[in-house]
Amino acid sequence: MTQPEPAPGALPCAPIAAGVDIGGTFTDIVCDRPGAPPFILKLPTTREDPARAVIEAVERLEREAEVTPGTITRFLHGTTIATNAILERKGAKIGLITSAGFRDVLEIGAQLRPALYRVILEPVTPGFLAPGHLRREVTEQRGADGRVIVPLDEEGVARAADDLAAFGVAAIAVVFLFSFLDPAHERRAREIILARHPDLMVSLSSDVDRAFREYERTVATAFDATMKPVVDRYLGRLEDGLAAAGIGAPLMVMQSRGGLAGATVARRRPVRLFLSGPAAGVIGAAAVGRSAGEMDLISIDVGGTSSDIALIEGGEPVIRAEGTIAGFPVRAPMVDLNTIGAGGGSIAWIDEAGGLRVGPHSAGAEPGPAAYGRGGQEATVTDASIVLGYLDPRFFAGGLLPLDPGRAEAAIEQRIARPLGLSVEEAALGIHRVVNAAMVEGIRLVSIRRGFDPRRFTLVALGGAGPIHAAALAAELGIGKILVPRHPGVLSAAGLLAAPVEHEVSAAFHRPRVEASQREVRDALADLDRTAAALMALEKIDPATVVIRYFADMWYIGQSYSIAVPLDPDGADPLARLHADFLALHDRIYGHCMEARVAIVNLRAVHRAGGSAIPQGNSVLAEAPALAERVARFESGAAMTAIHLRDALAPGMLLAGAAIVEQADTTTLIPPGWQAEVRADASLMLRPAMGAGT
Amino acid sequence: MTRVDPVTLEVVRNKLDGIANEMQLTLVRSAFSAIVKEGLDASASLFTIRGETLAQALAVPIHLGALVPMVGHLLQSVPISSMREGDIFILNDTYQGGTHLPDIAVMMPVFTGGQVLAISAAMTHHQDVGGMAPGSTPTNATEIFQEGLRIPLLRLYDAGTPNETLLALLRRNVRLPEILMGDLNAEIAACTIGARRLAALAPTYGEEFLAGLFAELLDRSELMTRRALAALPQGTWRYHDFLDNDGVDLDRLVRIEVAVTLGNGTMICDFTGTSAQVRGPFNAVPSGSYAAACFGLRAVTDPKGLIPNNGGCFRPIALALPEGSLVNPREPAPTGCRTSTIKRITGCILGALRQAAPERVPADSASEILILHFGGVRADGGRYVTSQLLVAGSGAGPASDGVDVIETDASNCLNVPAEALMMEAPIRVHRAALNRDSGGAGRQRGGLGGIYEYEILDGEATVTYRAERHFCQAAGYAGGGPGGFAGAIIRRASGEEEEIPSKIVARLVKGDRLLIRTAGGGGRGEPALRDRAAIAADVANGKVSPEAARELYRFVAEPAG
Repeated sequence: MTQPEPAPGALPCAPIAAGVDIGGTFTDIVCDRPGAPPFILKLPTTREDPARAVIEAVERLEREAEVTPGTITRFLHGTTIATNAILERKGAKIGLITSAGFRDVLEIGAQLRPALYRVILEPVTPGFLAPGHLRREVTEQRGADGRVIVPLDEEGVARAADDLAAFGVAAIAVVFLFSFLDPAHERRAREIILARHPDLMVSLSSDVDRAFREYERTVATAFDATMKPVVDRYLGRLEDGLAAAGIGAPLMVMQSRGGLAGATVARRRPVRLFLSGPAAGVIGAAAVGRSAGEMDLISIDVGGTSSDIALIEGGEPVIRAEGTIAGFPVRAPMVDLNTIGAGGGSIAWIDEAGGLRVGPHSAGAEPGPAAYGRGGQEATVTDASIVLGYLDPRFFAGGLLPLDPGRAEAAIEQRIARPLGLSVEEAALGIHRVVNAAMVEGIRLVSIRRGFDPRRFTLVALGGAGPIHAAALAAELGIGKILVPRHPGVLSAAGLLAAPVEHEVSAAFHRPRVEASQREVRDALADLDRTAAALMALEKIDPATVVIRYFADMWYIGQSYSIAVPLDPDGADPLARLHADFLALHDRIYGHCMEARVAIVNLRAVHRAGGSAIPQGNSVLAEAPALAERVARFESGAAMTAIHLRDALAPGMLLAGAAIVEQADTTTLIPPGWQAEVRADASLMLRPAMGAGT
Repeated sequence: MTRVDPVTLEVVRNKLDGIANEMQLTLVRSAFSAIVKEGLDASASLFTIRGETLAQALAVPIHLGALVPMVGHLLQSVPISSMREGDIFILNDTYQGGTHLPDIAVMMPVFTGGQVLAISAAMTHHQDVGGMAPGSTPTNATEIFQEGLRIPLLRLYDAGTPNETLLALLRRNVRLPEILMGDLNAEIAACTIGARRLAALAPTYGEEFLAGLFAELLDRSELMTRRALAALPQGTWRYHDFLDNDGVDLDRLVRIEVAVTLGNGTMICDFTGTSAQVRGPFNAVPSGSYAAACFGLRAVTDPKGLIPNNGGCFRPIALALPEGSLVNPREPAPTGCRTSTIKRITGCILGALRQAAPERVPADSASEILILHFGGVRADGGRYVTSQLLVAGSGAGPASDGVDVIETDASNCLNVPAEALMMEAPIRVHRAALNRDSGGAGRQRGGLGGIYEYEILDGEATVTYRAERHFCQAAGYAGGGPGGFAGAIIRRASGEEEEIPSKIVARLVKGDRLLIRTAGGGGRGEPALRDRAAIAADVANGKVSPEAARELYRFVAEPAG
C-alpha cells in the first residue's frame, strides 16, 4: 500500500510537481524536479487576491529554476481561504431552508458554553451564517424510520427560494430532519430551487454530512453553502491564472483530511477544505517520518502566536470526524490538529503576586517581539531565544528581518529580570522553561487523549521555532528521537507533493451491531463505493491504482462519541472482527471495554491513489565541521556552541551538542547532551548523546 | 516559609494543571455512564494535606470546591499518620461533607518516600445509587433515605486490598451495578494517574521543597484574589430571588436571600432571610453555597482568568448559613434536586456582586435547567426511558445582548438532539425553536428561551417535568425588563389543555402533546435607549414581535420596500 505508485495524471516521463501553500503571511512553493534538488520559494501572501502570489511564483519558477509552466504535470495547492473567510466573516450570504419547527436549530445548538467562568456570554453558535430573516421553514416530515409522514410542500419550497433570492442570497442550505435516512425531499427541493434560480448554489445536508444530529448537520451544511461561492470564485480565478501562465496540469487542492481533490470536486465540497494548509503540513510530517523509517510521530509546529500539535500513528495522521473552525463545531473529516496558545511571540509577564507567566497573550507579527524593533515593548519567547544565543540576530529569516538584540535584552531586563531579581540570562532561561512546560502538557494531553504513551513517538519539529524547543520538550516527555525536516518552514508545501488523491464518503447506518447483516453492510459499502468511484473518475484516476479502505463509526449504545474502526468486508466473519476491533480500540483510547451492546453509526469508504515516500539513501557518519562558534546558555550553564549552516551539511555528518544549525526558515538547537545526525534525505535526527544522562 | 524561585514555581504549576487535566480526561473518558460523558458531571482535583485545593480540572462549576468538605472530613477522621500506601477512601454521604447522594467521591493519599505529599481525589455523578426512583433524584423525596444509599467515609481499598464487603453491599443496592462499578473504576483510575504523576515530581524537586512550593502557590493566588477584592467597592449588598416550589408543596415560592459583604479583602455571604429547609429535595448542604460563592468570587475578581485556580483563591470566602435553612438543612432532609437551588444561589450572589461591580456581571439569567424524563410502554409492551435537558436565556451584559438558550452559571449540560430523541423513543419532536419576545427588554436585550413540542406516538408514558421560572422571572437591571416566564401545557389528543405548575409527574397517552417554553434572560438599561437598527433586526429575525417592539421599545417598523 505504501509502494510508490505513478502519480495520478502524470506523464510517463519526467513528472514535475509543484506544491503551493498559501498561509496567512507567506506563500510557499516547492517544486520537485527529477534529478535536481527541490526548488523552494517563499513570497509574501497577497491577501486581497491570493492567486497573485501563486502566479508570481510560477513566473519565478520559470525564471530562476528554468521550469517551463507547460512541463509541470501536477499542480497542488493548500489554502487557508475557507478558514479566513469564516474568521473575517466574508462567506457568501446564504439562506437556510429547514423542516417546519426547526428553523432555529442553527442558533440554539447544543446549548453548552465553552468558557465556564465568564458570566457575560457571547453566542457560541454560528447563527450569523443565516440570521432569522434568512431562514425559511417548509412543511415536510419524516419519521425516525425514514418513512414520509408529511409529503414535501413543493410550493412552499418555491416560495422560500423566491423569498431568499429576493434577499440576495448567493447560496441556499437545505436541512430536513432525517434526510440522512432518505435524501429524496432535499433532492427535490434542490431541483425546485435550481429550476427557478439557476444561478444559486445549493448545499444539501444529505450530501454534505449524511449523519444524524441535526445541529451538527445544519452547521456543516450552512458552512458548506457559505463557502461554495467563495471557493468557486477563488479556484476559478486561480485556474484562469494558471492557464494564462501556461500550466496545463489540472489544479488539485488539499482537503482537511490530508488527501488531494481536483478543483472540480473540491468546489463541490468546500466544507472539507478548512484545514487544507495545516493538513498538508501533517502529511508532510508523515512523509518525512516515513523516509526516516519513523511511523509513529508527534508533530509540533511552533508559530508566532500558537503551536499546532498533531499525531501520526503507523504513518497515518489521526483523523477526527468533527473539528472546530473559528470556535464552531464543523462535522467534516479532518486531521486531528490541536492548537495551544504558546508560541515564539508569547509574552512573558509578572503576575500580581510576582510570579513569572508566559502567554496566552502574544505579540504576534505586529508589533512582534521587542527585537523586531517595530514598537513591541514586551518580552517574548523569541526575545529570550536571542538573549540565550539560540538565534543569530543577523540571520533571522535568512537575514530578511534583522533583529535588535539590544531591544530583546532591554525588554527582558525591564519586564522580567529586574522585578524578579534575576540576571537577564536567568530570566530568559526561565521564560523558556515556563513556555516549554506549557508545550509539554499540551503534547501530553493530545497523546493521552488518544490513548498513546508519548514516549514511543518521534517528535517532528516544525515551524520557525519548533526546532529550538524540541530537545527540551523531548527530554521532559521522555521522547528519545527528534526529526527536523530539511525545510521545516515550508513543510506544508512539501507535504502537498507527498499527498495521495483521496475521496471519503460516508453515510449513516444505524444498527445495533448484532442486528447488522453482512449483506446489508456490503450493500451500503457498495453504495458508498459508487459515489467515491464517481469522484475518483472525475480526477481521471485509473481505477486499478485505487486503494479502498472502509471504516465503521461505532459506539456502545448510550454513548454519543463514536470511534472509527477499520472494516475489512472481505475478511473472515467481518462483523465479528469489527466488534473485536472496536473493543480493542475502545480499550486503548478509553482505558476499558466491556461486553455491552455495540452499535454501528456510520459507514465510511476512503478511496485513495498515489502518495509518495521520499527515497532513503545510505549514510556515512562523519564529524560536521563548525563554521563558527558563539556562547549560548542552557539549563546546564553557558557553553561554547558550534554554529552550522544547514545548507552546508551533508548526509552522514554528526553534530554534537552544544550546536546550532541555522537556515532561512528555522533554527535548530542541539543542547549539550544531544547529538544530531544528518540523514540521507537531509533531515536531522536528534538523539540524546551516548552515555549522556537523561 | 522558604521562598521558591518564580520560574520553578510556574513550571511546577503548569505540571499540576496538566496533572489535573490528565486526571479529568481519564475520569471522563473511562467513565461508563452517559451522565458523565454528556453532562460532564465529574471532576478531579489534587489537594494539599491541609485539605486545600492544589489544582482542579473542572467540567462544571457546581463542582468548584465541592470536594473540599469531603476531603476535609477525610483529614479530620483519618490521621495522615494512619494512612497507608494503597488506601483508597470513598464517601457520598451528604451529611459528611457530600453534595447529593449520586456524587460519590474517591480519595487517595499520594505517597512519596513513605510520607503523604497530597490527596488525589475525584467525584462523579453516578447514574443511580438506589433509593425510591431510578436516577436517585426523586423530585418528591422527603427524606434522604428515599434518595439512595448513603456511604459514610470508608476504605474502598485498604493498603491495596479491595473492601469486598463494601463492594458487595454497593452492588446489591443500586439499579445499574455494572455502570456504577465502571464509573467507580474510572474515579480510581483518575486518582491513580494523579498520584503517580505527582509522586514522580518528588525525585526532581524533593518532598519538602514541593510542600513549600504548594503552600506558596496557594498563598500567591490568595494574595491576588484579596488584592482584586480590595480593588472593588467595599460594602454590603443584598439580593434575593425565588425557586418556584420545592417539588412537594407546589404552591409555595422558596426564598433565597444573600447579603454579600466585601471588605478587607474578604467576601462574606450571609444567607439570613433564606427560607427554612423545605420538605422536598431542593435543600442544598453547605458545599452547594460554597461552590456558588467560589463561582461568584471568580467571576468578579478574575474575569480574564489570570489568577491560577486553587484553594488560595477561596480563602477570602466566609459563609453564614443559618442552621435548618434551605442552605444548611438538618439531617435527614433530602437534597437530591439541589442543582436548581445552587443555580439560584449563584444568581443571587452575582446579583449582589453586580451592585459592587456592574460592569462585570450581566442582568439576571433565567438560570433554568429543565429536566424531562420520559418513561413509557409501547403498545407492544416494549419499555423505554429517555431524558432531555433544556435551558433558557442568559442575562444582558453591559454592552451585549444576552445569549439565547444557553447554559449559565453552575451547570453546563448538552441537550439531546431531536433526531436522537426520536430514534430512541416513540416520541415526535415537532418543534425546537426560539421563544419570541421572551428576552427581557432593554438597551441590551435579554437572551431568548426556547419553545419545544413533543408528541407521544405509541402506548403511554410517564413524564417527569422539573422546571423553574414558572412563577418568578429573571430580573432586568438598570431599567431593563424581566425575562419571560417559563410555562408548559399538556395538550391531550382530545384537544383539552392542562397547565403544568413547574414540577409534575404526568401520564401521557398516544397523541398527547407536551408544549414547553423556557424562560428568557433579563434585559439591561432602558429599552428606549436601544439602538433602532438592533430593534429592527430583532423584528426582522423574529426575536421580537412587531407588537412587542411597539409596546416595549416604541418602535414601529418601516413598511417593507
